[in-house]
Amino acid sequence: MTTAAPPGQARPARPARSPWAIVAFLGFAAFTWWAASDEFGIGFDVARVITNLTRGADILAEFFPPNWEYLPRTFGPMLETFQMAVIASVIGCGVALPVSFLASRVTTPNLVTYLVNRSLLNLIRALPDLLYALIFVAAVGVGPLPGILALVLFNVGVTAKLLSETVDGVDPGPIEAANAAGATRTQVVRWSVLPQVLPNYVAYSLYVFELNIRASAVLGIVGAGGIGNLINTERRFFRYDNLMVILIEIFVFVFVIELISIWLRRKLV
Amino acid sequence: MIRFENASVTYPGGVEALKDVTLEIPDGQMVVIVGLSGAGKSTLIRAINGLVPLTGGDVVVDGVSVREAKPKELRELRSTIGMIFQTFNLVRRTSVLNNVLMGRLHGAGTLRSLVGAYRAEDIEIAMQSLERVGIVEKAYVRASNLSGGQQQRVGIARALAQQPKIILADEPVASLDPPTSHVVMRDLQRINRDLGITTIINLHFLDLAKVYGERIVGMRAGELVYDGTGAQADEHVFRDIYGRSLTADDVMGDPSERPATIAG
Repeated sequence: MTTAAPPGQARPARPARSPWAIVAFLGFAAFTWWAASDEFGIGFDVARVITNLTRGADILAEFFPPNWEYLPRTFGPMLETFQMAVIASVIGCGVALPVSFLASRVTTPNLVTYLVNRSLLNLIRALPDLLYALIFVAAVGVGPLPGILALVLFNVGVTAKLLSETVDGVDPGPIEAANAAGATRTQVVRWSVLPQVLPNYVAYSLYVFELNIRASAVLGIVGAGGIGNLINTERRFFRYDNLMVILIEIFVFVFVIELISIWLRRKLV
Repeated sequence: MIRFENASVTYPGGVEALKDVTLEIPDGQMVVIVGLSGAGKSTLIRAINGLVPLTGGDVVVDGVSVREAKPKELRELRSTIGMIFQTFNLVRRTSVLNNVLMGRLHGAGTLRSLVGAYRAEDIEIAMQSLERVGIVEKAYVRASNLSGGQQQRVGIARALAQQPKIILADEPVASLDPPTSHVVMRDLQRINRDLGITTIINLHFLDLAKVYGERIVGMRAGELVYDGTGAQADEHVFRDIYGRSLTADDVMGDPSERPATIAG
C-alpha cells in the first residue's frame, strides 16, 4: 500500500561519509598491531600459542580424574570464602550506597563534594584487589580479615561507580516534584532517587558478591584466607586432581549464585 | 497574594524567558496562563516557587521574597505551594500512597522520612487527599499500574497533601485525552472553589482556558500581553496572544464530538 505524498518536497542528497570512521579504524588496527608485534610489542603469535598449548596437555591430563575423596576437606575453606564474601559485600555495598549519591551531579550539585568523591572512587579503583590483599596481609597478618578488607575496598569502588552512573540517568521529574514540595536534599534522594535505582542497586550488589567468591580464589594465594589458601597449597604439591575438585566446586557455586540473582532481579524489577 | 515585581529570567544560554513581568494574583483566584510553547508560561509559574531562579526583579509570595529567601526559607515557602506537572512526575516504581506522602515530607523531619516512619496524621492527610480526587482505593497500588488520568490525580493528591495555599499546575492535561482532561480540570476547579486555594494553571488549549479560567493571563515571548476575564477573551484576544491566526490544534474540542472536525 502506498500513500500519496504531498507534492513539493525535495529529498535531500545523502551526506558524504565522514573520513573519520576510516581514520579511527586504521588507527585502532595500527594500535593493536603495535601491541602484538615482535618489533614494538610483546610478540604475540597465534601459531606459537597453538604449538605451546599441546605442551600443556600433559599437565592438563593430570587434572583428571578429579579426586572426589578430597571434597570434604574443601568444605571448611569454601564456607570461609562464602562468609568473607557475605561480610565484604554487606559492608562494601552498604558504604557504596551513600557514596554513590555523593558521586553523581544529579544528587550532589556542589561541585567540590562531587569532584572529591569522584577522585576518591577513581583512586580506590586504580589498585587491583590482589594488591590490596598484599598490603593488608602485611598490615594485619594472614587470615580472612585482610581478604575481607581488600574485598570491601574493591566492592565500594565497583558498586559506587556503577550506581552513581545509574543515578546520573534517573528521571528528573520526581526530583523536581519533591523539590517543589519543600523536601530537603536527603529526602529527595530517599524518596525520588532511591526507589528509581533500587533494582539496579540490588543487581550490582549480587554481582559484586559473585565477584567476591571468585576473587577469594586468587586472594588466598597471598595469604588472605578462604578457598584460595587451599588452591595455593594443592598447586604447590602438584595435586592437580585435588585442584580440579576445587575448580568444579567454585564453578557450581558461582553458577548457583547466578541463578539466584537472576531470580531475585526478576522479582524486583 | 502573589506579586511579580518587574520579574525577569534569563537562562544561562541567553534566552530571555521572562521579561519584566509585573502581575498580582489575589488569594483564592483561579488563573489560567495561555501562550504558545516557549512563551514563558513554565518559567512564570516556576518563578513563584523558586524552581527557576530570577535574574531580575522579584516575586513576593505572602510577603516572602522568593529571590531573597535562604534555602531553608525557600523550602518553607515551597511546602505551602503544591505543584502539578505535565508528565505527572510520580515515582513510578513505588506505591500511590508513598507518592502522595511526598507532599508531607516537609513537616515529617529528615530522620522520620528517611526510614519512612510517617506519623499517623500525615498518612491520614494523604488518604484524605486521595479521597478528594476519588482514587483512595489505589493507595497501595504501584503508580506505574495507573492510567494517565489516574496518575495525574495522584499528582493532584500529592499537591493537596501539602495542605497548600497555592497550587501551580504546569500543563496538567497536555498528556491526557480530552474526556480525562475535563475530569482533571474539574477536579482542579472544585479544589479551588471548595478549599479556596489560589490556583495557577498553564494551558495551551484555548477552549479549556476559556471554560476554566476565571482570569486569563496571556504571554508571548516572555512578556505579559493580556490580562482579563475568561468571558472577555474572544478569538481576537487569543489571536493577539498567539501572534498568528488560530488553528484546530489550538483547541481541544468537545470530547463528545471527537474526532469531528473543529473549526479554526
